[in-house]
This record gives sequence, structure tokens and C-alpha cells, in this order.
Amino acid sequence: MPMEISTLSKQTVMLLSVCFLATSVFAQEKTITGTVTAAQEGPLPGVNVLVKGTTTGTVTDMEGAYRITVPDDADVLVFSSIGYTSQEVTIGNQTTIDVVLQEDVQALTEVVVVGYGTQERKEITSSVASVTPENFNKGNITDVAQLVQGKVAGLSVSRAGGDPNGGYAIRLRGLSSLGANTEPLVVIDGQIGADLNSVDPNDIQSIDILKDGSAAAIYGTRGSAGVILITTKTGTQGETQIDYSGYVSSEAPARLVDVMSASEFRDLGIGNDRGASTDWYDEITRTSLSHTHNLSLSGAAGSGTSYRASLNYRDIQGVAIETGFDRLNARLTLQQRAFDDKLSINLNVASTWSQQDLGWNDAFKYAAIYNPTAPVRTTDPLFNLAGGGYFEENFVDYANPVAVLRQNANEQLEKQTNIMASAEYEFIPGLRLLARYGQQAGNIYHTIYLPKNAFYLPTLEVTGRAFSGFARSGYAVKEDDESFDQLFESILTYETNISNIDLSALAGYSYQSFNNEGVEMAGGGFLTDKTSENLASARDFANGMGRVESYKDGSRLVGFFGRVNLNYENTYFLSASLRREGSTMFGENNKWGDFPALSVGVDLSQITDFPWVDNLKLRASYGVTGALPPDPYLSLQTLEAGTSLFYAGNDGYVSSFGPERNPNPNLRWERKKEFDIGLDFVLVDSRLTGTIDYYNRSTSDLIFEAQVPVPPNLVPTTWLNIGTLDSEGFEFALTYDAYRSTDFNWSTALNFTTYTIKLAELDSDEGSASIPPANLGTPGQEATQIARAEPGKEIGILWGLTFERIDEDGKFVFSDLNGDGAINTDDQSQVGQGLPDFEFGWNNTFTYKNFDLNFFIRGAIGHDLVNSYRAFYENPGVATSYNVVNTKYFNPNLDDAQIFSSLFVEDATFVEMDNATLGYTLPLSENSAFRNLRLYLAGQNLFMITDYTGPDPEVRFQDRSLQDGRYTNVVLTPGIDRRETWVWARTFTFGVNVGF
Amino acid sequence: MLPALVLLSCTDLDETELLYDEVTTDDFYQTEEELTSAIGDAYTLLFTFYQNNNMMPLNEVTSDEVVVPTRGADWGDGGHWVRLHQHTWTPQDSRITQGWEYFFNGVNTCNRLLAILEPIGTPEADAIIAELRSLRAIYYYWLMDLYGNVPISTDFSATEPPANNSRQEVYNFVEAELTENAPLLPKTGPAEEDTYGRVNYYTAQAALVKLYLNAEVYTGTPQWQKALDACEEIINSGLYNLTPAYRDNFTRDNKGSSEFIWAIPFDEVFAQGFHLPMITLHPESQKTYSMTSQPWNGFTTIQEFYESYIDPAQNPGPQGEVVGTSPDGSMTTGTLDERLSNFIVGPQFTADGDRLQDGGADPGDPDGPPITFTPYMNELQPSAWRQSGARIGKWEFYNGMGQFLSNDFAIFRYADILLSKAEARANLFGYGDAEALMLVNQIRERAGVEPFTALTPALLLAERGRELFAEVHRRVDQIRFGTFNGAWRFKDPDPSTHVNIFPIPETQINANPNLVQNPGYPGSGN
Repeated sequence: MPMEISTLSKQTVMLLSVCFLATSVFAQEKTITGTVTAAQEGPLPGVNVLVKGTTTGTVTDMEGAYRITVPDDADVLVFSSIGYTSQEVTIGNQTTIDVVLQEDVQALTEVVVVGYGTQERKEITSSVASVTPENFNKGNITDVAQLVQGKVAGLSVSRAGGDPNGGYAIRLRGLSSLGANTEPLVVIDGQIGADLNSVDPNDIQSIDILKDGSAAAIYGTRGSAGVILITTKTGTQGETQIDYSGYVSSEAPARLVDVMSASEFRDLGIGNDRGASTDWYDEITRTSLSHTHNLSLSGAAGSGTSYRASLNYRDIQGVAIETGFDRLNARLTLQQRAFDDKLSINLNVASTWSQQDLGWNDAFKYAAIYNPTAPVRTTDPLFNLAGGGYFEENFVDYANPVAVLRQNANEQLEKQTNIMASAEYEFIPGLRLLARYGQQAGNIYHTIYLPKNAFYLPTLEVTGRAFSGFARSGYAVKEDDESFDQLFESILTYETNISNIDLSALAGYSYQSFNNEGVEMAGGGFLTDKTSENLASARDFANGMGRVESYKDGSRLVGFFGRVNLNYENTYFLSASLRREGSTMFGENNKWGDFPALSVGVDLSQITDFPWVDNLKLRASYGVTGALPPDPYLSLQTLEAGTSLFYAGNDGYVSSFGPERNPNPNLRWERKKEFDIGLDFVLVDSRLTGTIDYYNRSTSDLIFEAQVPVPPNLVPTTWLNIGTLDSEGFEFALTYDAYRSTDFNWSTALNFTTYTIKLAELDSDEGSASIPPANLGTPGQEATQIARAEPGKEIGILWGLTFERIDEDGKFVFSDLNGDGAINTDDQSQVGQGLPDFEFGWNNTFTYKNFDLNFFIRGAIGHDLVNSYRAFYENPGVATSYNVVNTKYFNPNLDDAQIFSSLFVEDATFVEMDNATLGYTLPLSENSAFRNLRLYLAGQNLFMITDYTGPDPEVRFQDRSLQDGRYTNVVLTPGIDRRETWVWARTFTFGVNVGF
Repeated sequence: MLPALVLLSCTDLDETELLYDEVTTDDFYQTEEELTSAIGDAYTLLFTFYQNNNMMPLNEVTSDEVVVPTRGADWGDGGHWVRLHQHTWTPQDSRITQGWEYFFNGVNTCNRLLAILEPIGTPEADAIIAELRSLRAIYYYWLMDLYGNVPISTDFSATEPPANNSRQEVYNFVEAELTENAPLLPKTGPAEEDTYGRVNYYTAQAALVKLYLNAEVYTGTPQWQKALDACEEIINSGLYNLTPAYRDNFTRDNKGSSEFIWAIPFDEVFAQGFHLPMITLHPESQKTYSMTSQPWNGFTTIQEFYESYIDPAQNPGPQGEVVGTSPDGSMTTGTLDERLSNFIVGPQFTADGDRLQDGGADPGDPDGPPITFTPYMNELQPSAWRQSGARIGKWEFYNGMGQFLSNDFAIFRYADILLSKAEARANLFGYGDAEALMLVNQIRERAGVEPFTALTPALLLAERGRELFAEVHRRVDQIRFGTFNGAWRFKDPDPSTHVNIFPIPETQINANPNLVQNPGYPGSGN
């Protein structure tokens, strides 16, 4: 049945319009006044006072006093404030209502966002972590993932080097899938599969992370790598609030690759002395200056409407010259209640525009290895090879890094619009039906131009080949990629109380369509660089050498789901859910899968009376989740036009059609089964809270592009469900209010993560697979294996010969492991482990009067990295072409070919001061125009403790490598520090937050 | 809420409705044009025939003609180029894996198309079936030549991974398929447009020549008479002649050359793949030919092979100034064989006539930055000088060329058939056979060198080398003449002859439990 989504969206819009026009009619009104105090502390300012079930409300002033005008028929006032238990008071005939609020055991009543709903913390029976803005990382934050880096036990967020446009690798509980998503599914305000960076960090209310299988199972085929739920801020009640926050930020390189200076290079006496002295890192980096501004507006506008609008602008300079981005993000949230609050309508619209100067990662490689005696510029025809005035020499994978960045353009314009509209109606108390429609439209427009006098020879992803602007007389690439995804969901929920049991249940239907299309064009032969934006001026398109490609694909996902939550006297808890989901991407014989989950919990503090214990919840859960194939059509036998044409006589060529892949009608979802047992506790008058989890998971039917025999197969690889990943892990998180007084408070939080992942097997009835090892790469080491994955072994094997010493002749001596007298591939063994033993984050917050100080330290312990810079260039012999890496391991007596071994695998254990902030909140007079005013100074990457000699010891969870002309993130071979890594940079930020 | 109820019934997950840029096999083969295009898929594979991952490394780099030296950081590639040259390859080496996949891709494509065509039953379809079966037999010929004991797979619908067949069985299969289908193929010459680049009757005969010529290697039983018959079938057709000049076969406009029995109709735009300039020329050579790409400085010739042209003792002929084999590439006196156009040697110049310069010249390079291609090479690895080695210039390199040449490539060439006939006669009637000598001298005369007065196996092999250099015949010729396991520059004698066939790739052995490794290789059991 073809879907009529366009009709649907029209209907939705019409429905919404009708609802916004509907206005409630108010009768007479009356005014109520009063004071709110806290049990021990006296008057309480900033308490929300709200007529229950409406958006009519106000807040208390500095003396805790309030004044509110309410309709005559208003029944109940709700008093709420963060840190206190909300209180409801029946109005009756009173005109003065004074209230005393009790301090809240926040850790228990905190609302946690879960899949398709919310629960109070005390009711949660699976492993869910929440991070709210006060705990976000501070400083120059350019990516949402950065907010929670190191903050959540089990969540690993890593980015090596300081590329402002480089994404973060995110892993929840390690690796649990080889399918489409090795990173957690992101859900923003109900929009499933959202782009993490379609929301600005300033608009986020909370980030909730569904860690175990039972919590994620409601997301079925996309839950295996975990789920990150982001809730954005909504309109506030009462008076309109205007907030501004802004900062300026400066970044400078702090850790580089140690290479020889010009004089050291000359003293070595091997390489060519080109007469100058150049510090290439100095030439390509800068002390950058970035600034960011956020303005938001929120409030309520009578008759049940509340809103929030925000505008966020970022102008970020990269630490490398000619790099950075400009981003403008706007978000509007509208809520409307009607029909005696039975109907609730929400509209959330966000738009992001981002202009990125990507630069070229190769510049960092070349800055390390470029001859330090070479000048940046030259007029000598022997070295002005491309005529651009830059010094160039003809060695493999070698170009003047300043010229690389200055001459060649690599820009991207990204646009995204997200719309989420929903309507919920309460038929009878507790029974609600929600319908929502979400749309995400994205566009990425990528432009590369290599000018006529540029020598740099990048391997372009679009062509899979290396070209230089000089060789191609100017070369331009244009890529335009559109993505469009629509979500429709309807969810029926019912909440009731049967004797001592609180019951909530939901049933839902979800339909999501995904469409992608795009165009790629590339060609050279420009008469002048001035017309580079007009591909028609490229000769290649006239003589047939230009390249044009387009594509379009689509997929659909249909799911039915249900869940029941039970709470027996706040002591025993149970949750059970099931999702049945089908995808077009599965093979004909396996379109549908079932994903059940069950979790139970008991609050032991309710059963026995422990001293010091406010809450002690033991919980256990089991859940099944899945993963989709990475691309559509992988199960189908299709034909595709080849790039070569067939000679059909008389100088005529016709396009030839050939098979795209081997079909697999049995292709099905990956199946992850996970068992989790956990303990949540709140102790010592709620001063110590924490959670401990142990989990054990097994992912079978891994979706893998397996090697198959030829014949009988047409091509040597088929997408099969093959193999099993087993992992187990242990996590804990603790928060302790170490010291509390009127003027001084100190709280500290620690989280700890450890896990092991084993590739249990790699076989199925349909075939077996071997995993291609990771090789060191070009130049010259294309077949030098440095990392691998093997069935029956843990993930993270770094592989090579074992280095013993360099002998008196300067030759490498390696261990002859098999004792056959020869050193060859049979003497290779595991020489490192790419994944850490454990990771931790340690946060401390101090407040003294109006000052606040926060610092956050994080680390990863026990992982190794292949230091590719050293593996290629730490050898005096390379000086004939390249500069020499000169770390503490450098041996000037080495006189041997560069052979990979354990010598180049280093312990990359690190502890770093990730960020620290010192803030001052100005005391404001009652009549001040400001609601609040805070100034702060923040630093990021303040210090790093490590023995690792490369720029950044961060864990490399995946290996980005170019395969078949496409960059692919290879997840089975972590632990390789490639040469494209940017330097490690330090950032200082000065910022201000103002509220009106 | 109405849309909710409507959508609740939508559970359609048919993916073929969402196909926009590919087509399912059910929706294809509907028109004659689509059918032609589908057959094209069996041939377009040949566009990568000569690339640095297929026939070229397997048949030339393993021989005494061509070598890929390691030049500093360049072309080290984990040593597999060196292993190819020194016959120490392993079942993991990528050239060996790719060769297998390449030719079986050809076999499987033919099988797939045959499965579609066989039920049709029209004369047109039957003609294409004969063509595809012959083409498949030729793909199998190469598989059998390279890997020996390969599985015979003719059924596209088979799903069980097949077991090895013996080399004899594959030989029999190739012979039967070619002899059965050849009579159904058109007897057209190289000037015939409709069959140019496709398998015709004489292509099948030429394939049989190769099969029979090497029959003793493949099966232990020589088939010289059958080889001679197949040669005569081609020669007596009168459709083929030696071109007046040797070079005519290798120019940019060589299409339809009277020596082409089967050619790959390359085109720098439509039929891309012939990237010889990229793999052999120096990066700076870009300026010699105003190329739109920068070459990779890889494949070169071995010094002694180059000497077999200029040394009057080996190759008698008119004497004159030629580039010598001293380290600086200075001129010397030697034989002026027209076929020296196979090499690019000596000082190099830009298109404007300036001396080509390499700022990164090796410290030991005798003449510094000016680039001179010297037949001399200082070492194979790790630091062969950047300018060393005679480059393969057999096919015309033209001004403004890109990565790919427009020159056509002859898979089977008439000169080879003449030399093959000479060899068959010499084996049937002795090396004193007058016609055999006459045939070889026919080739020599065209090259402008003096005729031989008598023929020996060594002379015949050397003449095949000079004439057919870099046309991917050398490995099989050396095996047949018994020199493949010997020593030459940068290569020691082979300890065993098991290297005369390549190992079955490890990826295939791992994926297919029914396959047995070839003798002498790890995992073969012997």
C-alpha cells in the first residue's frame, strides 16, 4: 500500500490550526496571595505557583511572597520548586494561602525520561542514566556529545585531536553491533533517529541514556547500541523570561608530534638541506578566537499557551588555519492546552544552518614530516613545482602543509529542519491517545576546489582517486545530499490504580520512512580558477572526462509496541514490554522481528529498616534488541550500470549492466540479548547517591559483509548474519555531598566503567567470514598488519613482531617466537590492546558565597595505541624524503628498513583535566533589571598526564579507513592512532549568563 | 485521529518498490538493447585486464621481463611486489586473491547470462550462447593456467561451494567448449566492426593455440600437431597480416590493426582501464606528456632483458648509438632493433624541450636532479633510485593523456601465432625445420634486425620476449621453455616447481571448505 504522507501532513496541519484557534472562555476571576517558606530555611524565592491543569501561574519573589489571579472555578494550586516536594493546596474560599515546602529526596522523585514516556527515578527497573545541564561539561562546547563526555558510567565519548568539524565516536557499553548503528540511537523530543547536532547544547533540558537491553528494547531494531534521549527546554510559566549567554573562547596547540627541528635535521646529515628553518606546526596552527551567543525567550501567553524560542549562533575558529565553522540554530516550542485541558498540542520546530571550512587532515601529517629546512615559499623552479609560489617536492604522500590549507578549498554547507507536531487527548481520566508527526529534512552541500597551481594530491572520497589541481588544471567537486525522514506514531496510554498497585500501560504504532538522494559531480580542466563555481567551465565535462553520479534510496520501518509498568506500594516494581518491528531492509524471508523485555526491582529500604538508608533498590532486567543492516537493498539481487561501457561496433559504446551484489533473502536483524543486574542507593540523608550495574550481553546474527567463495557466488562478498559478540561489564556512579554549609558547599561525583568484548565466533550455516586486518597503509606499508579481530578473542588486538633491541649494526632484533631461526609473519603476536581496562570521570563542584568552582578530571587506563607517526617516520633512514619523528624512543643508530613491531605500540593510559570553570554570580538588588547575572572563566584540556608520545592518547574506538573509495569506520580494530590526527589543543573561555 | 487508524493497517515492507537507482533482474532483459548491455558485462571486465592488480603482475612481474622495485617509501606494499618477482608469494597476497576473483567474476557473469539466454531458443540467442561459452572457456583457460586445479562451475543456480577439479579436467573442459562452440562463431577479421573486441571463430582458435602450445605443461601430454592446426586455421584464413611497422600495433589509433585477433577496445573516456602510463612513468613525466594525472613510478624492465635487444651477440642487426646499461645511462653502441620502442630510456624532457628535473633525486643518483631513465637499477629494495629502470613505452604515450590510454590492447596478436607455428613445427619436425626458421625471421625482418641462421629453443624464447614483451605471455613462455625456475637479476633459483601454479587464495580456502590448496603451499598437505 503506498503511503500518503503528504495528505497526512496536511491533515495534521489543519488539525493543529483548528486547535490553536480554539480559545477557552474564562468566567470571573479572583486574586490569591501568600508566602512560601522552606521547612528550615525561611522564605523561598522562585517557587512556581500554578493553577493545576492550566498554564496560569506565577513565581514567588525574594521574600517568598506571591500574588496570583485565578478563575473563580479554579480548584487547586500547585507549588513547586527544584529541590522540594511539590505541594497541592485546594483553594476553596481562601484568598490567602501560605505554604511550607519540604525538602525533596531529589534522587527519588527526579523524573527520568524513558522510551515513550517518563518515570520517577524510584520506579526505574532498568539501567538508565540522566544528565542535566548543571552537570554538563563546560567551556567551548561545539558538539552535543561533548556535554556528557566522561559523565556517565558506561558511555564512552571520544575524539582524538582538536578538529572542530570532526565528530565524536560514541559507544555505550562498548561494541554490541556490527550493523547500521554502532553508536547509540538518538531520540530528540520523540523524534527517533535524530541527528545529535540538530539541537543546540543551550536548548537541552536533560539527556537520558538507556543503557541496558530492557530499557532499549522498546526501540526494537535500533536499540542494540543503546539509546540517548534528549529533551529540550519548554516554555516557562508566569512572566516572560529572557536569557542571554555568550562567550569568547581561544584555543592553542598544546601537544604535537615530536619531530626534528631544522638544526637537528641538519645535524643528522642524511636529508637534503634546503637552506631554511621552518616550524611547520607553527605555520599551520594559530591561537584561534571563537565566539558564541545564545538568546532565549520563554513564557506563557494566557489561554493555555506557553512557548519558548531560542536563537543560537556560533562562530568557531579551528586551531588549524583556514578551518572552523559558523552555525546558526533556531528553535521554537509551542504548547497549547484546550477543552478543559483534555487536549494538549505541541509544536516543536528547529532549524540549523552550518557553514564549515573542513580543511585537510593531511596538513597535520605533512606538518610533522615536512623537511624542516625547506622554506614555505620559493621561486626556484626546481621546487616551485606547481607554480603557486610554494615550496614543493615530489615524494610520495608529501605536500607543503601551508599550501595544502591555503590553496585548496574544502567546504560544507549543512542545513537541517526538524518539525515535530503532536496532539494528545485524554478521553477519561488516565486514558490518553497521542498522535505525532515528525519530519527531518537535511541537506549537505559539499564543495572541493583544487586550484590550478596547487600541488597537493588528495585522495578524494567522491572519486576514490588522488588528483592534484595542478595535474588536472583545476579540479572541482560538488556533492549535494538530501535526506528526508518522516515519522508517524500513535500511542495509547492508560494509568490507573488497582488496590495497592499503580499500573501504567501503553500500546503504540510507529511508521517511519527514510529517503536519501543526491548528486555528485567532479571535473577538471579550468581555464581560470575564477570560474571554479561553474562546472560548465571545466573542460572535462566537454570531453567526457567529467564525472556525474546520482542516487536515490529509501526504506521503511514499521513497529507495534506495548508496555506495562507496575508499582506495588513503592516497594516492588515491574516493567514488561514488547516491540514487533519490520523493515524493508531485511530479506524477503525475515521481514519481522520481536523484541521483548522484562525488568523487576525491589526497594529493600521499604522492607527492612536500615539506618542511614533512604532507598536501596535492587533490580534485574533482561531485554532483546536489534540492529538494522547499514544500507538498503543488501538482500536483493539487482543490476547496476557499470562505469565502463561495452564496445558495440562502429565506435559505439553502450552502458553495461552488471550485478551489484549476491542476494540474501534471509538477511535479518541482529539480535542482542542482555541481562543487567543493578543496585541504586540513596544513603546518609540523601547525601550519598549512587548506582552499580553488572551486565552480560550477547549479540548474535551479526550483520557482516562476509567473504564467500567464488564460485558459486558471483562476487566475493555477501551480507550475512554471521557471528556473535559477547561482552560483559561493570559500572558504578557515586555522588557525594561532601560538605554543606551556608557559605560553602562541596559535592563530588565519580563514575567508573569497565568492560570486555569478545568476538565469540564468526560462522553460520551460510558461510564463514574472515575479518580483513587493519594495515599500516600508504606509503609502502599497505600490507603491514597492525590490528586484527579473531573469533574467540577479545576485540582490540594490536598485532606485530615483538621488538627486543637494535643491535650494534643498527638492525632491528625481534623475538623469534616460534624458534625457527627466521623472523617472519609467523613470529607476530598480540602486542597491545586497543581498548582500555577502565575509564573514569571525577567531578567536583565547590560553591563559596557567590563563587562557584567546578573541575572535571577523566581518564582511560590500560589501553595501547599504535603510534603511526613513529611507525612510519621514527627512523633516520626516512630523512632522505621526510622529517624524522624524534620521541624518547628515537635511536640515531638505527640502520634498517622500517619494520613494524611492538616498538611502535605504546601504553596510552591517560588522566586529563578535561575542564574547569570558575564562576561568579553577581548579587542583584531586588529592583535590578536582571533576573540573574553570572560571569565565568573556563578552561578545557588544562593538563594531560600520559606516557604516550603522540599528540592525543584518547581511546580510538574505531579506525577510519578508506575502502573502495569510501571512508569507513572499522569498529573491530580499535587502537590505531592514524597520522590524520589533529594536535591536542587547550582552550580558555570567558562567558556571561544574563537573565531578564 | 483518523490518519492513525488508516496507518495502523500499513505493514507493507516490499523493498523492490523503493528501488530508484538499481534494477532487479526481473525487470531487466526486456529489450534487445538491455540484452546487449547485459552481454557487455561479460566483456567490460576486460578493461582491468592489464591493470596492476591482474594479468600484468601475475604474468610479467613474475618473469625475467618486468620488476616493480621498492623506491624508498614507494611500492613497498608489504613486500608483495618483491615476493611476486622472487616467487615467494603466499596465499594471502592480494594479487593472487584478486586474480582469482577477477577471472571467476568473468566465469560467473557468463554463467548468469547463459542461464538467461538458454531458455530463449532463437538463432540469435544461440549465437550469443556460443560466444559466451567460448568466452567462459577462455576465462577458464587463464584460471587453469594460473591456478591449475580450479573448480569447474557452469551452473549459475548452484549454491553449494564447489570442489577442485584437476588441471587435466579443466584442460579437457576448455578444449571441449572451444572446439564445440568455435564453428558456431562468425569467421570475421579485425576490420569487421560488429565483432571487434568480441570472441569470434579466430579468437577461439587463438585460445586453442595457447592451450595446445602449453599442453605438456598442463597435462603432461604435448599437443604440437593440434597447436599447428589451430595456427594454420588462423593463418590460412588470409584475414590477418603483419603490419608494415611493429609500432603500428601499439599506437593510439591502432584499432582494427591487421594483427589483432582479439583486442580490448580501450578508450580514455568510454572504456577506461589501460593505465600503463600511471604504473610505469616517473611523477615528473607528467610534464613530458602534459598528462592530466601524475604517474606512480612503478613497473620497469630488467636490465638483462633490455640488453637482449641491444646486444649484437644475442640480437644481430645494424649497430648504432643506444642507451647503455651503465649507472648513468650513457650512450653506447648496440643493435638498432625497431622494437626498442618498447622502452623509454635516456634523458627525459618536458613537452617544451627542457630537461626534466627531480628535486628529490636520490643521493646516490649519478646525475642528480636531471632525470635519465637508466636500464641499470642499483637495487630491488629498499631504495631503488627514482630514475632507474627502463620504462615500458610499448604502447604510444601521447600528449594530453590522462590516467587511461585510448590505445587498444591485443590479447591475441598475429605475430604470436606466427611464432607459435614456428615453435609447433620445431617441436614436430626439429629445430632445423626451415619453415620454423623462416617464420621467426619474418618477425625479425619486420623489426629491422638480421635473420637468424639457425634456430634453438633459447633463440626462440628470446625472440618471443623481444616481440611480445609486456603482452602478458612471458610467465607461461618461461615455464614452457623451462627457465621460470631459474635465476635472474634480483631472483634466486626456485627450490621447487610448485610455484609454476599460484596458490588458491586464502580467502577462498577459508570461505569454501570443499577447496583443497595446491601442492607445495601451506595447508596443501604435501
